[in-house]
Amino acid sequence: MKNQNIQTWVDETDLLVDSKQLNQEGSEFNPVSVESILEDEKSGHLETNRRDFLKLLGFGVGAATLASCEAPIKKAIPYTIRPDEIVPGIANYYASTFVNGGDVCPVLVKTREGRPIKIEGNALSSFTKGGTSARVQASVLSLYDYNRTQNPSKLVADGKIESISWDELDTAVKAGLSGSRVRILSSTVMSPSAKKAIQEFCVKYPNAKHVTYDAISYSALLDASQKCFGERVLPNYKFDHADVIVSFNADFLGTWISPIEYANQYASKRKLDSTTSSMSKHIQVESRMSLTGSNADNRILVRPSEQGAAIVTLYNAVASKTGANTVAGIELNGAAKTKLSKLAETLVAAKGKSLIVCGTNNIAEQILVFGLNNILGNIGVTVDFSKASFQRQGNDIEFQALVKEMQGNGVDALIVWNANPAYDSVLAKEFAIAAANVKLKVSLNQSLDETSLLCNFLAPDHHYLESWGDVEAKRGSYSLIQPTISPLFNTRQAPLSLLLWADSTSILKSSEQPYYDFVKANWQSSIFTKATNKGWDKTLHDGNFEANVIVGSVNFIGNVTEAADKVSKPNTSGIDIEFFESHSIGAGQYANNPWLMELPDPISRCVWGNYLTVSVKFDGDRRFLVSNGVEENGEELVLTIDGTKTTLGAIKQFGQLEGTSAIALGYGRKNAGDCGTEVGTDMFPFCRMDSNGYVQYYASNAELSNSTGTIEKNFACVQHHHTLGVTGIEKSSGKKINADEAELVDDFFKPVAKGFQGSLTKRSVIRQANFKDLKQSVEHLHEERAEFQKLNSHTLYPGHDYKYNSGHHWGMHVDLNSCIGCGTCAVACMAENNVPVVGKKEVSRHHEMTWLRIDRYYYGDTENPNVVYQPLMCQHCNNAPCENVCPVNATNHSADGLNQMAYNRCVGTRYCANNCPYKVRRFNWYDYTSADLFPVNQKNLNKETDKPFYADNIVRMVLNPDVTVRSRGVIEKCSFCIQRIQEGKLNAKKEQRALTDHDVKTACQSACPTGAITFGDMNNENGNLSKKLKNPLNYIVLEEINVKSAVTYTMKVNNRDESLDA
Amino acid sequence: MNCKGFLQSVLICLLSVAVLCAAPNLDKGKSIFKDNCGTCHNKNMKDDMTGPALGGVQERWAGYPKEDLYKWIRNSQSMVSAGHPEATKLFQKWKTTMTAFPTLSDEDIENLLGYIEAVNNGTYGPKVEVPGQAVSGANTSKESGFSWWMYGIFGLLGIIALFLWNIISELNYSKSKAEGNDNAQRKSLLELLTSKSVIGFVLFGLILFGGYTTVNNAISVGSRKNYSPEQPIKFSHATHAGLHKIECNYCHDGARRSKQSVIPGASTCMNCHAAIKVGSQYGTAEISKIYASIGYDPIASKYIENYEKLSNEDIQKIYSKWIGDNIMKEKKTSSLTEGDLSQVESQVRDITSSLTSDEKPSIAGPIEWVRIHNLPDHVYFNHSQHVTVGKVACQMCHGKVETMDVVKQYSPLSMGWCINCHRETDVKFADNKYYDAYKTYHEELKSGKRTSVKVADIGGLECQKCHY
Repeated sequence: MKNQNIQTWVDETDLLVDSKQLNQEGSEFNPVSVESILEDEKSGHLETNRRDFLKLLGFGVGAATLASCEAPIKKAIPYTIRPDEIVPGIANYYASTFVNGGDVCPVLVKTREGRPIKIEGNALSSFTKGGTSARVQASVLSLYDYNRTQNPSKLVADGKIESISWDELDTAVKAGLSGSRVRILSSTVMSPSAKKAIQEFCVKYPNAKHVTYDAISYSALLDASQKCFGERVLPNYKFDHADVIVSFNADFLGTWISPIEYANQYASKRKLDSTTSSMSKHIQVESRMSLTGSNADNRILVRPSEQGAAIVTLYNAVASKTGANTVAGIELNGAAKTKLSKLAETLVAAKGKSLIVCGTNNIAEQILVFGLNNILGNIGVTVDFSKASFQRQGNDIEFQALVKEMQGNGVDALIVWNANPAYDSVLAKEFAIAAANVKLKVSLNQSLDETSLLCNFLAPDHHYLESWGDVEAKRGSYSLIQPTISPLFNTRQAPLSLLLWADSTSILKSSEQPYYDFVKANWQSSIFTKATNKGWDKTLHDGNFEANVIVGSVNFIGNVTEAADKVSKPNTSGIDIEFFESHSIGAGQYANNPWLMELPDPISRCVWGNYLTVSVKFDGDRRFLVSNGVEENGEELVLTIDGTKTTLGAIKQFGQLEGTSAIALGYGRKNAGDCGTEVGTDMFPFCRMDSNGYVQYYASNAELSNSTGTIEKNFACVQHHHTLGVTGIEKSSGKKINADEAELVDDFFKPVAKGFQGSLTKRSVIRQANFKDLKQSVEHLHEERAEFQKLNSHTLYPGHDYKYNSGHHWGMHVDLNSCIGCGTCAVACMAENNVPVVGKKEVSRHHEMTWLRIDRYYYGDTENPNVVYQPLMCQHCNNAPCENVCPVNATNHSADGLNQMAYNRCVGTRYCANNCPYKVRRFNWYDYTSADLFPVNQKNLNKETDKPFYADNIVRMVLNPDVTVRSRGVIEKCSFCIQRIQEGKLNAKKEQRALTDHDVKTACQSACPTGAITFGDMNNENGNLSKKLKNPLNYIVLEEINVKSAVTYTMKVNNRDESLDA
Repeated sequence: MNCKGFLQSVLICLLSVAVLCAAPNLDKGKSIFKDNCGTCHNKNMKDDMTGPALGGVQERWAGYPKEDLYKWIRNSQSMVSAGHPEATKLFQKWKTTMTAFPTLSDEDIENLLGYIEAVNNGTYGPKVEVPGQAVSGANTSKESGFSWWMYGIFGLLGIIALFLWNIISELNYSKSKAEGNDNAQRKSLLELLTSKSVIGFVLFGLILFGGYTTVNNAISVGSRKNYSPEQPIKFSHATHAGLHKIECNYCHDGARRSKQSVIPGASTCMNCHAAIKVGSQYGTAEISKIYASIGYDPIASKYIENYEKLSNEDIQKIYSKWIGDNIMKEKKTSSLTEGDLSQVESQVRDITSSLTSDEKPSIAGPIEWVRIHNLPDHVYFNHSQHVTVGKVACQMCHGKVETMDVVKQYSPLSMGWCINCHRETDVKFADNKYYDAYKTYHEELKSGKRTSVKVADIGGLECQKCHY
C-alpha cells in the first residue's frame, strides 16, 4: 500500500492507532516501573527509618569534616631522561594504519604522554581521504583490552593457560615444526613484509602452505575476477564516477569491502547546493533493509535466493537494449521483472557512467555482474583493475581443503594468525573436531578466542598500535604502520614469530626492533624502487606511499552463458533468512569492544544483541500487520532451520520483504572476553555452502514460529528513548494519538482535534524532497521558514541581543544528503569526550550516555520506505530552554554562542533534560566511569560478577585527559568539543594570527567519512561554515519553537524514480 | 573615669600599635640577605664563608653606637680608613673589602639584623611559616581578610565612639543640671557598657564577625595556600633562580608551550650538574641524588650502562665511594675517619630514602617530587595561555620563587582568585592578530568608548573557559 502524503515516522507505533502503545509513547518518562528496577538491585530492599537516617546523617557530617581536614599528598614524577619529542600536555600525532584482516584505514594516532587516546583519519591517503569508520574509531579501545593474551603461554587442561617464556615457546614450536606438514591459516594479509615473512617461513619449511580465508567470504567475487579478467583481485570500484549505481545486496556503505572509501565517493555525487544540477541514482536490490539500501533512492525487493534470477533478468533486459546476446537462465516474474526492465532503460541511458555491484558469494552471479558492467561499458571506467584492491583475499575452496586435510591427519602443525575459524567459519564444528588430529597448534591471535582454545601454544601478536608493519590495500597504494606505544603486554609481532621460527637470516635477533629492520629493508629493496623515493622518514611521517602502477587495459573474458545456468535457484516457499555482517562488530572480531557493542544498529537501533527482522505490512485501512504476530519489539520467536530450533528476539522492520527475515552475524561468541562473550546468538552454524563450495549467507525453507509473547530480558533498542510524544484525541475514535499520527491519519480520518494552542501542528524535524520537485520543495521550505521567522520575531524580551558581533559565534552544519548513518561520529564522540558505555541493562532503562545520536526516520511508501538519518547533538540554542530552568545556573550561555555545562555545579535536578526539546541531555544515573570511590555506584557492562569496566587501570588509559570524567548525579551533553575549540583558539593566539577553519574541528566532523558535518565560526565570512550556511536547502530543526538553534541541517533529497515503484 | 583616663588608654593603644610596627620584618630581612649578603656570608649564620659568620653581629658591635654598625654595613671601607677600632680589627683578620650597600635604609638594616639574629637563634626556619601572612611580592592576595591595621582602625574607632559617648553623657548631665534637675547623675562607664544599646551593638558585631570568619574559613577549606612540603631533594630555587639567575623557562620549559609547566627531568639537571658536582650548601648530599636517579658516575664523569638493572646495594656502593672520595679531597687526606664514615653513611641513607617509595623500590629512576600546586580534576588550566599569550610573569601566581629555599604555594588557587584576576587583567589586544575577530571592541577602543579590554570581556568569566 502506497501513501505518499506521509511525513516521517520512526516506527510503526507512529502509524498505528493503538491506545496501549500511544499511552507509552505519550508518557514523558521511562515506562519501566520503579518496582522492576528495584527488584533487580542487589541491595534488594530500601528501608530507612528515622534512626538510620540520623545515624547516616551523623556519619556523613563526620566523614565530610574528617575528609576535608587533610589533603592527600600527591606526587609529581617527571621523566628521568625526557624524550625530545614529548612535551607533557601536548598531543603528538603519528601516521599509522588501522588493519584488521581486510579492514584497512590509514590513520593519525593522537598520543598524550606516550599513550594513544584517539584515532583520526589520514587525509593524505589516496583512498580513504581522511575518513574513518566506527570500527577504526573504536580500535584504540581494543588496545587497552585487558582480555588480550598477555604472555606467551601454553594451554593446559580445560582451557587454562600457563605463561611460559618466549624462548621456551620458540624451542617447543620449532621442535614441532621441523619436518612437519605445516599450514598457516590467516585472514587476509595485505602486508608485503608479512607476506615476505610467510614466504621465508615456507622456504625454511618446504611442506608449509599458507591458507587464507575471510570470515565473511568474498571468494566468489575474487574467483569471478580471475575468470573474467585473469587476476584474482578485487576491482577498484569508482562510485564517484557512476551516475547510476545498482547494488545486488552489496552493503557497500556499511560493510562491503571498503566502506570508508566507497562512502566518500558515493557522497560526492549526492551533495546538493545551489550550484549542483545533478545527483546520482542508486537502486538497491535486496530483501532486508541494509544501511546501503536505506540510503538508496529505490529498493527492489527480492528474496535472497532470487538474487541470481534478478541478475539474469537485468542482464537480459540490458543485453536486449544494447544489442548484446541474452543468456538463458531463470528470470524473475511479476513486479520485480517490470522494475528491473525499467531499471535497464536507466542503465542503458547512463552507459559508461553506471556501476553494478553484487554482494552475493556466488561465482556465477558475480561473473554475470562483471558481464553486465562489460556490456554497459563500465570496465575501466567505474570498474577498474589498475588500482585493484587487495582488501579481501580469502579462498573458501582452500579453506575447505585444509579442513579435509586435517580430518585426514594430513596436517602436523597449524599456525593460526588473526583468524577464528572455530567460530566464524561455515565449518566451525568440523574444524574444531579435526583440530584434535593436528599435533602442534599455535595461535598468533591477540586474545584467547574459540580457535586459540583449541591450540597448544599462544604466541600473542601485538595490537596494530604497538606494531611495525605495512599495508598494500590497493595496487601501488602503500601505507606504513608504526607503533605509538611500547607493547602493553608481553606480546610479539606475528610475522616476527614466523621469521624467528624459520631461523631467518634477514633479522638480527640482537636488534632492539628486529621486525622494524625487516620492514625497512624490505621497503628499500622492493617498494621504494617502484616510484621516486621520497625516503623512509618522509614516508613514515606521511604514512602513505604511492607507487607508479603500470597495468595494461583489461578485457572481459568471462563466460556469461555458462554462468547464467549456475545462478542460485529461487526459492519461493517458506522463509528465506539472510545472515549479514554486523555493521559494528563485523563477523565477531570486534565483539569485545564495548564502544561498538553499544553503537546502535543503524536501522533497527538495537544494541547488545542481534535480532530477527520481521516484515510489516499495511492493511490498506488503518492496521499494520506484523509477520508472526509480533506485537512488541524484542518479542521472542522460534526459528527452525534444517530441524535446528533457536529462540531469537524479533524486531518489526519496515522495508523487509514479506516471507524473508534477516539477522546479523558476529554475535553469540563463546570466548570473546568480558564484553563480547554470549551476547546475542551465533548464526554461523546456519550458513551453508553452495555446490561450488562458496559460503552462502542465507538459508531457505526456514520456519518461523509465532511470537511467544515474552520480550527478551533487557532488550535494548534506543529508537524510542528520549522522545516526547505530544498527544491529542482523534475525534472519530476518541483515541489518543500523537502529532505525527495526526498528520498521518488525517488522510483517513479527516477530523483530528488539533491540540490546545496549536501544539499539535506538524513539527519540522525532518524535511525531505524528491530531486525532480526540488525547486517547489525549496520554495515551500523558504515560505515556511519565513513564516516561522516572522512568528519568532515577536519576543518577550525586546532588547535582548542575539548578535554575536564580536569574536566568534560557533555553529554547525549537517548535510543530511551526505550522512549515510554509519555511526562513526557517535563512536568518535565517545572516544573524544570520555562518554561512558553503560551496558545492555542500563540501555534498556533508557540510560545510554551518547552525546550524539543518529535518529533514523522513514518516509514515503510504508512498505518500501526511504530513510533519513539525522545526527542529533546539543543544538546550542541561543534561546536555550535548558538554561533558564536550571536552579543553580550550571548550564548557561557563553559569549561565543555555546550552551555551556559546568559539571561541578550541577546538582542533578534534570530540569534541563526535561525542558530540552531535542532530548540530547544525558544524566549519570550511576558512576559509569568509576570516577568516585563507591563501588556500589558503579555498573558492570555485561555480567554482574565482573568488575566495573572503567575500574580497570588499563582501560582508563584511553581517557582523554583534557575532558573531565563525570561522576554520578550530573547531567552531560555535547559541548561542541569545547576542548578542541579552546586548543584551536590558543594555538591561533600563540601564533598571533586569525583563527582558521583548520584550527577547530569537532571529533564528529573529523571522523566523518563523507564530510557531512561542518563546524566553524559563523562570524568568519570566508569560512567553510559560512559557505555551507548559504545552501538554499538549509533548515533548522524545530525552528518554529524559537529556540534559535546553532545547528543547521539540509533538506534530505532523494532521487527516487517513481516508475520503479509500480 | 574621666577624659584623661580615656586619653591615656588611647595613647597606650597607639603605642602598642607602633611597637608592633617597629618589630623587624623577618621576611623582608631574609630577602635583603638573599639579594645582598648571601653570596659571601653563610646563610646558616654560624659558619664562615667568604665573609665571617654573621650570627651575633649585634653583640660584637654592642660596644659602639648603633649608627656605627649601620655605617659599616653601608660602606665598610670608609670606616676602615676612618680608623674605627672594630672595623680595623675585622679588616686585618679578613683582608677583603665588603661590598658597599649605600642604598639600604635604617629600617632595611634593622630587618636584616633581626633576620640574622632569628636564624642564629633558630627562631626563624624555612618551615616555620605564619599562615595567612603573605610575602610582600608583586601581587598581594585579595583574600587575606582583615590585616592588623584594620583591627587598629576598628579599635581606634571604638575608643573614639566611647569617648564621644562620654562627652554626650557629660553634656546631658550638664544640661539637666542647668535645667535644675538635682537628681541628675553621671553615668558610670560600667553602666554605659552594660546598657542595652551597647550590648546589642556588640552582639550584632560579634554575629557579623563570626559569620564573616566562618564563611571565609569554609571557603578556604581544602585550600593549600602556603603549603610547602619537604621535597626528596633540598632543591633551592633561591640558589638556582635567585643567585644564579637561571631563567624559569629553562627548566620549566612546558610553561610557554603546554598546559603543564613541566617539572624538569633529571636529564635537565645534568646539563649543569655534570660539571657542578658539589653544592655550595649541602656538598655532595643533594646533588648525588640526581646522579643516583639517572645513573651518572661523578668519579668517571660518565653515565653508567644498564643502570636500571643494578641493585640498590650496588648503587649505594657507587655513591658511598663518590661521597667518601669527595670528603677526602676536601680535607686533603687519604683516609676517612669514623666521623667521616658515618657522614657518608648518613648521606647514602638519605639518598636511598629520598629516591625510593612503596611504589618505587629501586633507587634508580625518576625523582618523586611532592606536588605543591594541585588543581581539582575538573579545572582546566593552561600555562602557555598565561605565559605566552597573556605575558603574565611567573611571580604573579607563584610569588618570588627566586627567593624561596623551599617552594611554597603562594596563591590560594581558588576560583575567586582566578576570576578576580580575569576581571582586572587587560588582554594584550593590540599586538595579536587573533583578536582582530573582536571587531566591536577594536572600534570602541578606537573611538575612545573603551580604554581597555579585560579578560572577562572575552569570556574570561565563562564556565567553559576552565571547566569542560
